[in-house]
Amino acid sequence: MTGRESNRIKDAEKKRVLDSAARQRRARKALEALEQDNFHDDPHADLVMSKKLPKFQESIKNCKEKKGKRKGAEYFRAKYRKNFQQLLEEEKQKPNYESAAAPAPKKPLRHFCAVCGNFSNYSCTACGTRYCRVRCLQTHQDTRCLKWTA
Amino acid sequence: MANAVIVLDNGAHTAKVGLAHQDEPRVIPNCIMKAKSERRRAFIGSQIEECRDTSALFYILAFQRGYLLNWDTQKTVWDYIFSKDGIGCTLDNRNIVITEPQMNFQSVQEAMLEMLFEEYRVAGLYKTTAADLAAFNYVADSEERTTMQSLNCIIIDVGYSFTHIVPFVLGRRVQEAIRRIDVGGKALTNHMKELISYRHLNMMDESHVVNQIKEDVCFVAEDFKDTMRVHQSEAKRKQVAIDYVLPDFTTVKRGYVRIPGHPREDEEQQQMVPLCNERFTVPELLFNPSDIGIPQVGIPEAVADALQACPWQAHRELLLNILIVGGSSQFPGFLPRLKRDLRALVPDDLEVSLICPEDPVRYAWYGGREIATSPNFDEFLYTRDDYEEFGVHALQHR
Repeated sequence: MTGRESNRIKDAEKKRVLDSAARQRRARKALEALEQDNFHDDPHADLVMSKKLPKFQESIKNCKEKKGKRKGAEYFRAKYRKNFQQLLEEEKQKPNYESAAAPAPKKPLRHFCAVCGNFSNYSCTACGTRYCRVRCLQTHQDTRCLKWTA
Repeated sequence: MANAVIVLDNGAHTAKVGLAHQDEPRVIPNCIMKAKSERRRAFIGSQIEECRDTSALFYILAFQRGYLLNWDTQKTVWDYIFSKDGIGCTLDNRNIVITEPQMNFQSVQEAMLEMLFEEYRVAGLYKTTAADLAAFNYVADSEERTTMQSLNCIIIDVGYSFTHIVPFVLGRRVQEAIRRIDVGGKALTNHMKELISYRHLNMMDESHVVNQIKEDVCFVAEDFKDTMRVHQSEAKRKQVAIDYVLPDFTTVKRGYVRIPGHPREDEEQQQMVPLCNERFTVPELLFNPSDIGIPQVGIPEAVADALQACPWQAHRELLLNILIVGGSSQFPGFLPRLKRDLRALVPDDLEVSLICPEDPVRYAWYGGREIATSPNFDEFLYTRDDYEEFGVHALQHR
């Protein structure tokens, strides 16, 4: 027998606590974001470029002659399309990319407040984010805590 | 000798390129950029200088995680570089000195050879790493006091995608001792972007502007804890806190640090971001990547670790010749901090001396120029005949 109350509200009232796996997943996501080239989408994505438009180059004469010999960017994209992960897996001989990585630190980690950046002594009970004082915790809960659960 | 050699230090962010007889290289962004304001075209390399409004610049980079993976992007940029608008000469039938990252992947090397020989029809190439070129230049700079055969040195290359520690013993790169830290200019900019966007105003789309902010205001704290204390105390906070005036691309073309008491015209109407601990916690990642959860040691410990992998007989000289190159080493305070940390980590009977060239960005290129103009350059060269006879395999045994 279920009551008539909304499940959505009931779920929201329950205090959610992220387990360590979820926290790790979030941390990894944050690190991957540091590798991003762009945060936003291609501003020209909605433009339709017509390939039929003639491109006026000075050396229009040489173009035909080149075509026979050269393979063009298409060819290279098709032939060397392996992504970084695939390349990593291929690499067997040591020393390689993986063996060259700097070792893990032996010193204990330093913690910083996610809100203001000072040294932090506390962590949020729900998501594990570090904070330094009550005011920062408040800001954290209002803005970030579990707001973008990964 | 008919054609001058082209030297190309092909970095993930900027390509340093020029003819070997020129005094200095051109630094060209190694990417294609799209601007929100200019919808008809994309900007390739230095064409970005023609763009008046660089807000929300969209980058298309040829490099991913420091390795050349997007060949069509790279080809577009190279086409631009070796055209009339670029350095003004083609690669046709010329020799080229070109750099690749440390521990480059086999398939990427193959692609590069095929591209250069088949597409650009180079006569011959010498493929090496920026660290090797820097080491060569270091020897050339020493005015015959050291030769390449007797060189013991450590090159720290703080690049865009990552940082490499590369020891050379008796002039040879010690492959097993190379250490990589996955922090470079790109991670720093992205981290700073996140901090500013969360704390002040959303600049997640503004990599280009934040990169300029980073270059303008960031510094490495000599004593991190101490600087943090300065930041936290109300009285001393002024020493590090600044306001940065953001560009609006009409009156202010490039952002700048506000000088209190000397306002520029219309300054009150401009958008500003207050910056304080961001200024030194961001470059701090080079010294403590674990601060944001990267499970690696910072530069000083990585140098000490690389040192352990080298023969002990070389340790003394290695520590005396530590050379720092790469764009992200230009933060003020980088050198004293590194020296301080490194001093604490290595045996006290060994002296530590760091050398930071005047121009750490172009330093490797100058080394390439030295190699290209050296009398025995032909011995290094991998020629078209080699390529046609043995293909890529001949390069492995060199």
